[in-house]
Amino acid sequence: MEVNVELLIGTKVSDVNGNKIGRIEELRYERDDTSCRIEAYLIGASALIDRLSAWTLLRPIGRALRTRKVLQVYEVPWQEMDLRDPKHPKLRIAKGDLRHAK
Amino acid sequence: MGLVRDVLDKKLMDREDCCMGRVSGLVMHVSEHAQPRVTHILIGGPTPWMRIHPSLGRVSRWLAGMWGPKNGEAVRIPWSRVETIGRDIKLDVEAKETGALDWEIWIARHVIERIPGSGSEEEE
Amino acid sequence: MLQITLGIVTSVGGFLEIGSVTTAAQAGARFGYQLLWAIALGTICLIFLVEMSGRLAAVSKHTVVDAMRERFGFPFFFIVCVGIVVVAFMVLVAELGGIGFGLQILTGIGFPWWAVPISFVVWLLMWKGTFGLIENGASLLGLVTLSFLFAAFRLHPSWSSAGAALIPSMPQSGKAQYGFIAVSIIGASISPYLMYFYSSGAIEDKWDRTYIPINRFIAGFGMTFGGVLSIAVLIASALALQPNGILVDTFPQAALLMTTALPKWGFYLFAVSMIFACFGAALEISLAIAYFFAQGFGWNWSEDLEPSKNARYAFVYTIIIMLAAIPLVLGVDPIKVTVISMALTSATLPLAIVPFLFLMNDPIYLGKYRNGWISNTVVAIIILMSFVLAVISIPLQIIGG
Repeated sequence: MEVNVELLIGTKVSDVNGNKIGRIEELRYERDDTSCRIEAYLIGASALIDRLSAWTLLRPIGRALRTRKVLQVYEVPWQEMDLRDPKHPKLRIAKGDLRHAK
Repeated sequence: MGLVRDVLDKKLMDREDCCMGRVSGLVMHVSEHAQPRVTHILIGGPTPWMRIHPSLGRVSRWLAGMWGPKNGEAVRIPWSRVETIGRDIKLDVEAKETGALDWEIWIARHVIERIPGSGSEEEE
Repeated sequence: MLQITLGIVTSVGGFLEIGSVTTAAQAGARFGYQLLWAIALGTICLIFLVEMSGRLAAVSKHTVVDAMRERFGFPFFFIVCVGIVVVAFMVLVAELGGIGFGLQILTGIGFPWWAVPISFVVWLLMWKGTFGLIENGASLLGLVTLSFLFAAFRLHPSWSSAGAALIPSMPQSGKAQYGFIAVSIIGASISPYLMYFYSSGAIEDKWDRTYIPINRFIAGFGMTFGGVLSIAVLIASALALQPNGILVDTFPQAALLMTTALPKWGFYLFAVSMIFACFGAALEISLAIAYFFAQGFGWNWSEDLEPSKNARYAFVYTIIIMLAAIPLVLGVDPIKVTVISMALTSATLPLAIVPFLFLMNDPIYLGKYRNGWISNTVVAIIILMSFVLAVISIPLQIIGG
């Protein structure tokens, strides 16, 4: 199945129980000579700030907020993302099993 | 490495350093048990407009079919043609052969080169 | 040092175009020296913004528009494109009208008759000229506006009173109009298309990191040049027009600010100054709009290439200039267009400045040349100011315009 990455960005993701997680803001990839493989999906507002390279500007505020777990980045391995309906991506695991991106 | 930050909307250059446009979209092949892979880069067409709203994509496709090179679809470049990803994305293709410059060539031939002083080869 | 011409031509488009001259003249005629602070504020803001635009281009080899598209994506770019291009187009109409008004003063032939020939000449210079020719030519021609400075000095202003007016103060009456003119002055000065033009010019002139110190000088000197001349217009107007109760409701009235100081030549010098200044501004805005489209969509672009080699870029400026002539041919008053465009410029400023703050702190584009705390503070203040201007500009235009 073909999915347009640019249309996936910004779509809301829910977990296997239907709980809202956040929006897909970035896709982590690995590249070799011939292919580009998706490793993980980054979900959350902090991922957007990462994508805008805006931490330099927002780091003092961001650190304070991240330690309070208000702005979180979830890193979802590719195996755990169900994209059968690209407009409504779902996780194959529960929110509690997600790990935060480093 | 982030696909959106490193690739999406970046400028594309061909093997002769000619500007080919920007990455409007990326096609990813997804299947149940295989790791998703990016298979194609999309240039132009309705792709950027679809990112704003699907109806704008349909309007863009319709308008592009009415005039110009009459090609309303995006140009698809296989990911295997990507050479380097840096400040711009370098592709191992020739821009004119991909169709990415169809509009540029059409406007040059049908509008610009008909105006004196455009510097077209025919004039020289 | 010929690079200084990029700074001068940019400041012509910011300070010596029809909108800035008209509002400075109105400010002086209505409120004397009281609005000098608005021009000074606009100048300082512009120095910082233009310096940053040049630094971004020199270090990253990206223009502001390139970087905005890549960082913020196509949907955001498109929203900014609509806002900025619509307003810039209106300013272009006003500038072509300004040239027409100048020719009307000199020849007595109404400006609508000049719309097509003027547009043709602007287009021809872009069609056949190189960036260097436009940059240097517009700067050299723009030097005739030094006549405003000469006129101001001849009227023997009180420099201590002028200096005191650098601190904002409210007038006794006409507060709404005072606010409107202040907003218009700042909006006319901090026009986003200046940043896009300057960063594109830096790429056209092939700047690299070695140009960073020169860029600071060019931004500082160039914008100060424009700001000082704009202040000269205000001072001349305050001394020549305010005592006689002339309020600059029409463009030819603005010419009177030169005739008190220079009775024999002032009227014609004003007309010639406006022709050349608006000509430079028209070129700059046309280039800025074409650059915006070409860079945003990833087309080939350079004023140094022949039109057939960057067809879509040439097509954009050809269409833009043609369309800009139409309202003038139909007799639309360029001053009315100027007034509306200045209010809209203020209203759309946040669209341009907010992403700029992010870009100037991006380590991937700028590395160690990112903004320091001073530049960031200034941009943050400009953003705050731009939001305030965005909210109040249109109501003020209705009440005080």
